[in-house]
Amino acid sequence: MLLKQYHSETLKEDVYHGVHKSGLNVYILPKQGYSKSYAVFATHYGSIDNKFVVPGEKQATEVPDGIAHFLEHKMFEEQEGSVFNQFSRLGALPNAFTSFNMTAYLFSCTDHFYDNLDILLNFVQNPYFTDENVQKEQGIIGQEIRMYEDDPNWRVFFNFLGGLYHHHPVKQDVGGTIDSIGKIDKEILYKCYNTFYHPSNMILFVVGDVDADTVVSHVEKDIKKEHPPQEDIQRIYPEEPSTIYQQKVEQHLSVSIPLFHMGFKDTDIGYGGQRLLKKDITTRILLEMILGKSTSLYQSLYEQGLINSTFDVDFTAEKGYGYTVFGGESPDPEKVRQQILDEINKGQREDLDPKVFERIKKVIFARFLRQFNSIERLANSFTASLFKGIHLFDYMEAYQSVTFKDVQERFESHFKPENMVLSIVKPLE
Amino acid sequence: MNGLKGINLKKGLNLYYLPTQKFKTSTISVNIHRQLQKKDATKNALIPYVLRRGCRDFPTSQAITQHLEGLYGTIFDCGINKKGEDQIIFFNFEMIDETYLPEDMNLLESVLHFAKAVIFDPVTENAAFKKEYVAQEKEKLKDVIQGLINHKTSYAVERCYQEMCKNERFGIYELGSVEDLNGIDEKNLYEYYKDVMRTSPIDIFVAGSLKRETIVDTVNRFFDMEPAENIAYPSTEIISEVGEHKKVEEELPVAQGKLSLGFRTKISPRDKEYHALVVCNGILGGGPPSKLFNNVRERLSLAYYVFSRLEKFKGLMLVSAGIEVEKYQDALDEILAQIDEIKKGNISDDEYHATISSLVNGIKSLKDNAYHMIEYHISQLLGGTEDSFEDLIEKITAVKKEDVVAVAQNIELDTIYFLKNKQ
Repeated sequence: MLLKQYHSETLKEDVYHGVHKSGLNVYILPKQGYSKSYAVFATHYGSIDNKFVVPGEKQATEVPDGIAHFLEHKMFEEQEGSVFNQFSRLGALPNAFTSFNMTAYLFSCTDHFYDNLDILLNFVQNPYFTDENVQKEQGIIGQEIRMYEDDPNWRVFFNFLGGLYHHHPVKQDVGGTIDSIGKIDKEILYKCYNTFYHPSNMILFVVGDVDADTVVSHVEKDIKKEHPPQEDIQRIYPEEPSTIYQQKVEQHLSVSIPLFHMGFKDTDIGYGGQRLLKKDITTRILLEMILGKSTSLYQSLYEQGLINSTFDVDFTAEKGYGYTVFGGESPDPEKVRQQILDEINKGQREDLDPKVFERIKKVIFARFLRQFNSIERLANSFTASLFKGIHLFDYMEAYQSVTFKDVQERFESHFKPENMVLSIVKPLE
Repeated sequence: MNGLKGINLKKGLNLYYLPTQKFKTSTISVNIHRQLQKKDATKNALIPYVLRRGCRDFPTSQAITQHLEGLYGTIFDCGINKKGEDQIIFFNFEMIDETYLPEDMNLLESVLHFAKAVIFDPVTENAAFKKEYVAQEKEKLKDVIQGLINHKTSYAVERCYQEMCKNERFGIYELGSVEDLNGIDEKNLYEYYKDVMRTSPIDIFVAGSLKRETIVDTVNRFFDMEPAENIAYPSTEIISEVGEHKKVEEELPVAQGKLSLGFRTKISPRDKEYHALVVCNGILGGGPPSKLFNNVRERLSLAYYVFSRLEKFKGLMLVSAGIEVEKYQDALDEILAQIDEIKKGNISDDEYHATISSLVNGIKSLKDNAYHMIEYHISQLLGGTEDSFEDLIEKITAVKKEDVVAVAQNIELDTIYFLKNKQ
C-alpha cells in the first residue's frame, strides 16, 4: 500500500493517505509531542441507511430503526468475551458512536498503540451475534433510549427534525425505539454487517505520535479482505419534498423553562465535496452575521430576557439533507421566532455589512484551527468529512473562496419563512 | 514532589507557566478562590455574569464580543468551578497561538489588556454596578439554577450531594440559590466584589508557546491591583462520622429512574492511603474494566450508564446509575454487593491491572489538553499535594491489591438518593 503525503502550510501539519487492496482508505496524521494516540475505524453506515439493496440481490431490504446503533453495541462482543477487556488490559480507552451517516469504533491510548490497533482492526472484522447476546443488549439499549426520553435537549432536537422532514429517516432517533429494537434479531444484524462493513466502505484514521509505515504494516497484516466487492451498495432514501412537514412541534416534559429549536430546511442539497464545504462555511458566516453574539438582534433578545447564554446557532450540511438550527432556553419561544422572522424579513441583502463579514471570517478561521488541538475531534470530524467527499486540508482553499456576495446570496436563498420550523419543549402544566 | 512551581508576583497572586508547542492556541486561566459558604455563594456566582456584560473599555457585551471576534475569535468564558469547599470564580481566555496567526500582531498583549479590563474595571454608576446589568443577570442566574433539573443525570448527582452534606458547606450548590438572589442589588454586590478582588488568592495559568519572560512581564504590568494583608486559601472539611444512612426519594415525571449513592471515604488527597482509594474507585466503577460496568450493565443489563467517581477534596465517593424504576432493589443490591466484593478482597488480576493501566493512561492523556493540564495543577494546589504527572503515576502504580482492600473497609454508605416517576 503506497502512501501519499499532503502538507498544509496554514496548519503546519502533514497527512498521509493510502488505499489498501481491499478498498479500505487509510489516513495517518502524525502529531509529535502528543502523549495520546487515537485511531478510528469507521463505516459509512448510519441510522439513515435502513433501506438498501444487498450486493448480489435484486430486492430491497428494509430493516428496523436503530439497527446501525444496535450493531455498534454488539460488535464489542466476541466469542471469547468482551473486547473492552482486551483494550483495558493495555490501558486503552475504547469507545464507539453512531451518527446519522456513520458508525465509528475507536480507542485512545498512551502505550501499546500498535497492539491496540490490532485489536481494533480485528474485532470490527469479526462479528459474533447470538440470540442470547442480542436479547441482553435489548435491555441495555432500552435504558439508553429511556435516558434520551428524559433528555429535553435531545427531544427538542428530534422534534425539530420531525417538523422539517416528511419521510427522510434523519427524523428518526439514532437509537430507534424500544419497539423497533425489539424486532432486531441476529439474522438481520449479520445482513447489515455483511452489507456495510466491507473495508471498501470504511476509513481508518490514525492521529498521534505514530509512525506511518508501521501503521501500514499492521493494516496489511490485519485486514482480511483481498479486494473490493463487485457491486456497490445501493442505498434507498424516500422521496423528500422540499417543503417542511410541520411548522410547530410541542412536547411537555419536566423542565424549568421552555427549550426551543428553530431553523430552516436546506433545499440546496444533493452534492458533496468542495461545493458542500463552501456552502457550509458560507452558511456559518451568515448565521454569525445575523444571529451571533455580536449582533444587535442577539443583544436585543438577550436584554429583553427572551434568550440566555444557552442560545446557540449551528448548521448541518450533508449530501442528502441540511438545516440551520438556533435554540436554547426562553420563557417565550414564539416571541423569539417572531423577532427573528421580522429581522430576516426587513433585512435585505444590502443590510449585511462587509466589515462584519471580514471580522466573522477571522472567527471561522480560528474555529477551524482549534479543531486540530484535540486529536479525537480532529480524527472524528476529518473522517465524517471524508464520507462527504471533503478533505479538510482543502478547507483553506474553500474558506478563501467565500466572498461577501456568496453570503448575500445565501441569505436570500436559505432564509425562507415557509421553510422554518419551531420545536418547543414546555414545562408540565 | 516535583509539581509545578508558581511564580509569586505579589501577595496572593501567583502565575503558573505551562510551556508547550503542540497546541494551535494559547490558554490563559484566571482563578479567584473563595470559601464556599451560604452567605456569599450566590454573590460569587453572580459576579462573573455581571462582569461579562461590560467594562470601561468595552461597555456592552456586544462591544466585548466584537472586540474578541477581531482578536481572531479569542474565546472568553467565565463562571464557577467548585472544588471541595472552594468556590473558584474563573475567567478563561483562549487565543490563536502566535505561530498560526495570519498577520503580525501582539495577541497576548491585547488579550491580557482585555482580561484586566473585564475582571478589574467594570462599568459602574454612582459607585455601584450598572443597575440594569445586575437586574438582568439575576434573572439569568435564576434560570441556570432552576435549569439544573433539565439535566436529570447531573440533577440526581447534585441532589445526592445536597442531601448528604445538608449540614456542611459542601451541600451548597455551586451557583447559590434563588432565595439568596433576592437580597442582592447593584450596590451591595459591588461592595462585595471590591472586597473579593482585594482579599482572595488569585492563580493565573498560561499554557502555550509564548516566552516565559514575556508572560511574566505582561501579566505583571496588567495585574497591578493592591491586595489586602490577610489572604488565605479556602479549606474543606472531611467528615468521618456517618451513623445510620439516609434514604431520600424524589418523584418527577421521568421515563428512567436515577439512583445515586453517596459514600464517605474519610480520606483526603494528602493521606498516604489516597492513591489506593483512587484505584479502589477505578475497580468499582471507573469505566469498562470495572465491576459496576461488567455486572450492573453487562451481566444483568440493568443500566446503560453506571459509574462511580470521587470528590477527592471532600473525601466522597458517588455511584450513579440510570435504571427502570421497578428495578430499584436489584440495582441497589448489586451495587452494594460489588463494593462488598472489594471489601472481601475479591479483585481479579485483570480488574486490578486494567484499572491501574487505565488510570495511568488517563493521567498521561491530561497533557494533551491545556484546560485539563490547568485543572490538574489547580487540583494539586488545592489538595496540597504538588505531584507532577510522573509523581502521581508512580504512586498509583505502587498501590497493591491489599491496599485497595484496606481503604475499602472504611468506605461507608451515607445517603441513597432515588429519582423516580410518579406512580
